[in-house]
Amino acid sequence: MSSFQQGSTTATEYVDATPLPDNVPKVDELGVTSAPLKSAAFFIGAHCKDFNDDFMLCKSENRDPAHCLKEGRRVTRCARDLINKMRDSCLKEFDAHWTCLEKNNQEYYLCRKPERTLNQCMFEKLGLTKTIPGTPPGQKPIHEVDSPIFKAIQK
Amino acid sequence: MPPPGGFEAVKYKRNLPFRGPSALVLLGTVTAICGYGFYRVGKGNLEKRELQREKVWSRIHLVPLLMAEGDRDAYRREQAALARERLIMKDVEGWEPGKGSYHSSRYRSPEIVIL
Repeated sequence: MSSFQQGSTTATEYVDATPLPDNVPKVDELGVTSAPLKSAAFFIGAHCKDFNDDFMLCKSENRDPAHCLKEGRRVTRCARDLINKMRDSCLKEFDAHWTCLEKNNQEYYLCRKPERTLNQCMFEKLGLTKTIPGTPPGQKPIHEVDSPIFKAIQK
Repeated sequence: MPPPGGFEAVKYKRNLPFRGPSALVLLGTVTAICGYGFYRVGKGNLEKRELQREKVWSRIHLVPLLMAEGDRDAYRREQAALARERLIMKDVEGWEPGKGSYHSSRYRSPEIVIL
């Protein structure tokens, strides 16, 4: 079915292409999709903890986007730095883990094998460990359990 | 008169063949199987909780990063909208561009957003 459209309406949506004002320093955005981000999440949390905490404290002061631009740039730079370091030292393991996540509905528990090699490599090369806050004391963290109940049905 | 060789013996013994394990054994086996199943369910629930915690924390670690990126974009659009408003309303006396309709300094996100 066709419908009448006035000539003044445009078919494409209007996108505001105005760049950031010049007084705001430029920062390269982190061009990373969801699976690599999920794969690197705990290392970002470990590596950039100070910047992240600083940014969130700033956001709790004021929700205005203009208020925390400086802290936000630091957060992005730190995350970029970490991703570059990961790619430099553990590219093979990183790629293996995030492709596995991509293929498995982005579930950590289906990708323990590549995750362990990645964690091992990250600890050896960069000294970063994955820790899950709030794990009950005396209990093995879930990513290190040897025979979990929830696992992939096909080996 | 009795037949030669005498009468045959009277059959008075009960005829009860073995018909499988007893009720107690069956009940015990079923209880044991169910008990093991519930034990696994309990273990699985604890594990599910930990998996959920892992997932939540992976997202918490990414929040500042994504929020910072979104904030830069929001700021860029706000500034562009402000410049547009300044240009459109430059001939109007006493117009303050970017002045909200509320008497409050609290930040409110814009109601109309141009992507």
